[in-house]
This record gives sequence, structure tokens and C-alpha cells, in this order.
Amino acid sequence: MASLYNAWGPILDLYLLQLGFAFSQYLVLRAGVFSLATAALAAIGAYTAGILAVKHGVHPALGILAGTGMGTAAALVLSWPLARLRGVYQAIATLAFVQIVLSLNIWAEGLTGGAMGLMNIPRVVGTPGLLAAAVAVTYIIWAIGRTRIGRTFDVIRENEAVAVSLGVSVPRWQALAFALSGAIAGLFGALEAFHSYALDPNIFGFSFLIATLSYVVFGGRKSVLGPLVGTAVLILLPELARPLAENRVLVYGLLLILVINFLPRGVADTLLDAWHRRRLARRSAAAAEALR
Amino acid sequence: MTGGLELRALGKRFGGVVAADDVNMSVPPGRITGLIGPNGAGKTTIVNLVTGMLSVSSGSILFDGRDITHAPAHAIARAGLARTFQNIRLMPEASILDNVMVGFHRHETSGLLAALLRLPAAARETRAMRDRAMALIGRFGLAALADHPAGGLSYGHQRRVEIMRALATDPRLILLDEPVAGMNDVESAEMAEVIRGLAAEGRAILLIEHDMRFVTGLCAHVYALDGGRLIAEGSARAVLSDPVVIEAYLGSPLDA
Amino acid sequence: MIAQQLLNGIVVGGVYALFALGFNLVFGIQRILNLAHGAVFMAGAFTAWYTVVNGGPLWLGFLLAMALSGCLSVLIELVCFRRLRRTGDEEFGAIISSIGASLVIMTIAQRISGTRIVRFPFDTFPIQIYQVAGLRISLLQLFMAAAAFALVVVMAWFVYRTPWGRRIRAVTENARAAMLTGVNPNAVYRQTYFMAGALAGAAGVLVGLAFNSIHYMMGEPYLLFGFVIIILGGLGSIPGALLAALLFGMMQTLTIAFLPTGLTNAVIFLGLFLILLLRPHGLLGREEAGQLRGRR
Ligand SMILES: Nc1ncnc2c1ncn2[C@@H]1O[C@H](COP(=O)(O)OP(=O)(O)OP(=O)(O)O)[C@@H](O)[C@H]1O
Ligand SMILES: [Mg+2]
Repeated sequence: MASLYNAWGPILDLYLLQLGFAFSQYLVLRAGVFSLATAALAAIGAYTAGILAVKHGVHPALGILAGTGMGTAAALVLSWPLARLRGVYQAIATLAFVQIVLSLNIWAEGLTGGAMGLMNIPRVVGTPGLLAAAVAVTYIIWAIGRTRIGRTFDVIRENEAVAVSLGVSVPRWQALAFALSGAIAGLFGALEAFHSYALDPNIFGFSFLIATLSYVVFGGRKSVLGPLVGTAVLILLPELARPLAENRVLVYGLLLILVINFLPRGVADTLLDAWHRRRLARRSAAAAEALR
Repeated sequence: MTGGLELRALGKRFGGVVAADDVNMSVPPGRITGLIGPNGAGKTTIVNLVTGMLSVSSGSILFDGRDITHAPAHAIARAGLARTFQNIRLMPEASILDNVMVGFHRHETSGLLAALLRLPAAARETRAMRDRAMALIGRFGLAALADHPAGGLSYGHQRRVEIMRALATDPRLILLDEPVAGMNDVESAEMAEVIRGLAAEGRAILLIEHDMRFVTGLCAHVYALDGGRLIAEGSARAVLSDPVVIEAYLGSPLDA
Repeated sequence: MIAQQLLNGIVVGGVYALFALGFNLVFGIQRILNLAHGAVFMAGAFTAWYTVVNGGPLWLGFLLAMALSGCLSVLIELVCFRRLRRTGDEEFGAIISSIGASLVIMTIAQRISGTRIVRFPFDTFPIQIYQVAGLRISLLQLFMAAAAFALVVVMAWFVYRTPWGRRIRAVTENARAAMLTGVNPNAVYRQTYFMAGALAGAAGVLVGLAFNSIHYMMGEPYLLFGFVIIILGGLGSIPGALLAALLFGMMQTLTIAFLPTGLTNAVIFLGLFLILLLRPHGLLGREEAGQLRGRR
């Protein structure tokens, strides 16, 4: 048991952290916001928590709270300009935001440790803490999907004109999605800070952005299972075979092209859909049988 | 004035194209008002102006005596105005039930936190909305298909889902943009009954339609539009036999 | 001092124009953001370098770079976008798909170069510096400016003066209407992507020569600068991109010269943010950035 944990513990931790970021990315996409800002929001949460702990000796619990709060606040501020933009323009604006946070993190050496990174963060978060956070966020995402919030996000994503015609204030709901996404990114950023001793600005750069996007695209952007499955497969894949690990970037690249072209809804959502359709077909067949 | 919709000297320009010009109309509650005109006459533009999806260039729009000319589209919908779309707009992968349930948006009141945590209040509300949606779907005779994805339905059924979604908002005015386009005679006769029922409930209805028999059978009052201008109004029979209207249709190369 | 910076900025801006024009052409014609454009640019630089270190003349390297980058760009359209366009979810899908393509191309370049920074041999381009009216300009800078100018003129001539260009503009304006008049959109897309890729490849060679540093990740900053330029000029607008590239080149050299080093990127992207807010359709664009999706 102990040796099993030693071998797989780090991977489990990585999975739980990345799952949080995947859910952050998932939420905005679900509400039809074309944002790639999760990397920057996670950086904001992580650095808030890290700086408070290292420079001011703040208790980690407060640091995590502050990181979550800052992630939410930054997202809310950002949601105002984003509400005026659409589609690719949102993508470009959020890419710029990621770049701004990255540059400022490197530049503000006195505060963030600059390119060298922020060192000596107490490592107080372990697997149980990550697991608790991941379960909580999974529950919230599941709950969102079964209440009016999820329904509203869905109609906005599918067709804004329809949403508006039903009385949905699109900017307000997208701001909500964005704030939730920021809260989750901030929370998991802070957890990452307290899980890894050190932060370095480049953790939250392009590769982070591509990874979180890949989890969601691969798994699916609709059901809760999407990010759960997508993150699991993409993190486990490199562990399964050495060539896959050595060509990780290549594998991600090919998978992105293949999945978006041939399974555009992602693996989990496609499977769920197929299962749902089979059930409907069986039910209709049974009904026809009964009529006879 | 007894409520309903009132357009006063409404105008809309797209760059050089005048899509609506000095349009005066009223759509009273409890009656079906028709709006006809050849392709490109500006009928859909009127719907978009009324529902706030396009900005008004000139004139004003009153709804139950309230000026909604420059109100944001979602506020107009919340005031009790619903529409269907000429080119059907459903969530194709979602079930009929889910498509109809989003229509209840403006009646959902459970708190955000309750919804986020799926507290009992939110779960209860969702169940209540599901029941109301199922009742509506049953009324339209689609109960057996409620769990089927809307995208796989026939054209006529999809139009019905759109109307159900609009009805879920419980509107006092409903704008129907070609509700029987692409339907067969049986379906279209059923739809006529539905629309009559809505008017009998006291709702104001603006019906846009190319099928003249359908219009004649339903509408108490008809407006005819051409090139963004009203060219005739009155009883269906009178408007349809108006030489100016006939000329407008015959002059149109796309006349069906 | 400022005049010297402005001169340097114009030269750099010319190269940016080559990069951004193709990027913008593709956006204009398909409303697709091709995030692999930076990788195509990088591939151009590598092709020229490979030709030169294997004893080929620079001009041959230049031509091969343009040809290879052009073909690569066409291949990206075929593999990454064509299917998406049929299913209709290209706005999101193309971004994902082209990120994938970019990762693949970059990995290949990384393998070939062994993650090293490669350089042109010392004597690839003669070092010659002229003094004109107190300003210093090198032969390389002159060559860059001339090459960029010539390519832009050729492209503009192609787009505005030839039947192929007329078709490209027709498809950009309204693909369905163009199809009804007998234009084969796939052929038009092929030409557009080839042109876009070839221009990016040329830009890659010029940048590789100017900084004498070729690296598998060299496309990334240019992709980001490309965003700034096409947003500044207006997505889809050719003259806009041209003007914006020159402006951006000058602004960038000035910020680098007068701002603390770490802050230049932050300022540049903050600027991008402001433009998006204040003038989302850019200087010469007319696209409505805030349009409702699904609205007719
Ligand atoms: N968003 C827009 N931008 C520019 N022009 C528009 C826009 N919407 C409509 N138009 C123009 O306004 C005119 C009226 O169009 P509209 O769609 O209202 O006609 P319609 O009467 O609904 O026609 P149909 O019977 O074909 O549905 C047309 O000339 C059309 O091209
Ligand atoms: Mg119409």
C-alpha cells in the first residue's frame, strides 16, 4: 500500500491539481466565453498565496482564501472588458492578459522573485487537501449542471440571440461563469503554491494554457465527466509508455488535431451521448413492443 | 389604449438600405395580428427591432404603455415579450425537455448560492420547472419524445419546440416569425389551433406568414409591408385583394 | 537618437508586416485564427539556415524557405481546418487544431536542431554599415526593408490586380455568393494559405538573419506581436495590417529603448487590451467585434 502510494502519489497529486485548472477552463467554455485566462488567474492565486506566506508569514489557510479571492476578483475585473468582445477577440484579449501577468511576474522581482521564482513556500498541502478541494469543485460543477445556472450557461453557449430572447442578461451570466472560473483557478493556484515549495512564473505560461485546454477538449466541454476523464487520460498517457513520455508535446499536438476534427465534443461527451441514444432507442423499441 | 404592442413611426436603416420606414402598427391583446409582405420586405427586421435585437434608428415602440424603444433585449423579454425565429434556433444536441426548460429562465428565482450548492430549494425549483415543461410538451403532443435530442426532430416538431420554449416564458405578446414554414397541411392546421388557443388566453400575437390561406383563416387584422413601408392594412380579405399588395407580390421575383 | 530608433522600427515593422499580412489574410477569408502561423514562420528560418549550412546560396535558401513555408501552410489548412469548416465549429475548433499543428511542427524543429539555437555562418550576409544624414543603416537592414517592400507590393498586386486576387476578395466578402458565381473556394483557400505561409517564411528568414538566432520557439513572440498588429489594424484588413505593422515596429523599438526591459511586453499587451476596448475593429477594420453570435 505504502509503496503503491509512493509510486502513484505524485501522479495523483498532479492529477488533482490539474483537474482544478481543467474545471476552471471548462466553466468559461461552457458559458460560451472564449477565454484562455485560466493560466493567468491561477498564477494570480498562486502568487498571492505564496507571497503572503513567504513575505508576511500569513497562515496557509488564509493564504488559500486570499488566493481564491484574488483569482475571483481578477476574473470579475476582466469580465467587464470581455463582455464587450466576442469569439476570437475574447481569445486574443485573454491571451494578452496571460502575457501581461507573465511579464509582470518576471518584472516585479522584489515581490515575486522574478524569473528565479518564489522560494521556501511551506509545503502544507498534501494529497488529502487536494482531494478535498477536487471533490468539492467536482460537486459544484455537477450541481451547476443540474440547476438553472447550467441551463443558462448552455443556452448562452449554444445561441446568444436565443438566450437574450428568453430574458438572459448575457454579460451578467458570463461574468458569473468567469468569476467562478477565477475562483477555482485561484484556489488551485494557491494549493499548487503550498504543494510545491517554489513558484516560477513560467509554470503559468503557454504550456499550462495548452495543457488545461487539452484536458477539456479531449474529455469534453459539456458533462462533468469531460474534464475528469480528459485530465486523467492526458496525465496517465505519458506514464504508460516511455515513448509517449518522451514525445509528450508531440502526442498532445496530434491528439488536439485528431480530437477536435473527429470527436469534436470530446471523448467522454461522445460516449455519454452514444449511451444516451442507445437507451432512447431501446425505450422506443420497448414501447413499440408493448403497443403490439 | 388597452395595452399590447404599439409601433410609432418606426424606422431602421442598415447603411444605405432602409429596412423599416415610418411603420405604425398596433398588436392588441387577445387577437392575432398578421404581418405579410414579399421576401426582404422587412418583416423579420420589425421583430428584431421590437425584441431589442437591433437598435432602432427612429420612432418608438410601446409595450403595454411602456416605452421599450431603447430597452436592452433581455429586459424586453423579461417584460413579457417572446419570439420564435424564422430560421429555427434550438440547442440541437439537447433534449426537447431541456430546450423547453430554458424558456422558464425568467421565472426561476432560487438564489445563486442555492443553485451552486444544489441546496434543496434549487433542486425543488428544477423539479417544478421540469414538471411544468413536461405539461407544456404534453399539451403539444410531444411527451413521448421529450428525452430525444431536438436536432433529430422533423421540421414541424422543431417549430413546435420553439413555440413551447417561447411560451415557457409566459409572454403577454408573442411574435411568430413564419411558424408554419416547411410544415405539411395537417401540421399547419394543428398549429393554427395552437395559435388560436394562445389568443383566446388573452395574449397578443403578431403572426408573420407567407401562407395566405393560413393568414386569412387566423388574423383579425393584417398589415402588409413592402420595402420597409406599410402599403396596406385592414381585414385579411381586404388587404389580400388590395391591388397595391398584389402588385408588391407579383413584382417580387422570389414570390412563392 | 529617436530618429535612429524610428528608422530601426520601420525596418522591423516591414518584417512584421510580412508576418501579419498572411495571418490577417487567412483570418479575413475564413474567420480563422491560425495559431500555427508562428511555427510556419519558424520553419522558414530553419529552411534557409539548412540550405546555407549545406553550401547553398542565401537566395536559394530564401526561395526554398518561402516555398516550404507556403506548402506547410497549405497542409495545415488541409489537415487542421478543412474538416472543421464542414462541421461548422471552426471558430473554437481552429484555435485548438492550429495549436496542435504548432506543437507538432515545433517538436519536429526541436528534434532536428537538438533544442539548440542555430546561426547562419558568419559570412552569410556582408556586414556593411552606411551613414546617411546622421543615421546608421546596415546593408542587411536595407535588404530587409527592400525585401519586405517588394513582397508586400507583389502581394498587393496579386490580391488587387489579378483574377486570382479578385476571387480571393470575392470569397473574403462572401464565400457562398462567390461559390454561386462559380468560384471554387478550396482553390482560393489553397492560394491564400500558400501566400500567407510564403510571406511568413520570408519573414522568418529575415528575422533569422537580423538576430542571427534561429530556435524552435522563435515563432511564439511573433505570433503574439501578430495579434497586436492585426487587432490594431483591424482583423481582416490588408492596408490596416500594413499600417499597424509599421506603427507597431516603431512603437516597439521605442518602448525597448526607453522602458525597463522587463516591462516592454507588459506595456505592449496592455496596449493591445486598450485597443480591443476602445476600438475593437482596429484602425481600418470594419468587423464588429462585439456582434451577437447567432444573430442574423
Ligand atoms: N443585419 C442586417 N444588416 C444589413 N441588412 C439587413 C440586416 N437584416 C436585414 N437586412 C436587410 O433588410 C431587408 C429586410 O430584411 P428582412 O429579413 O427583415 O426581410 P423579411 O421581410 O423578413 O424577408 P423574408 O420573407 O425573406 O424573411 C433586406 O433587404 C435585408 O437584406
Ligand atoms: Mg423574415
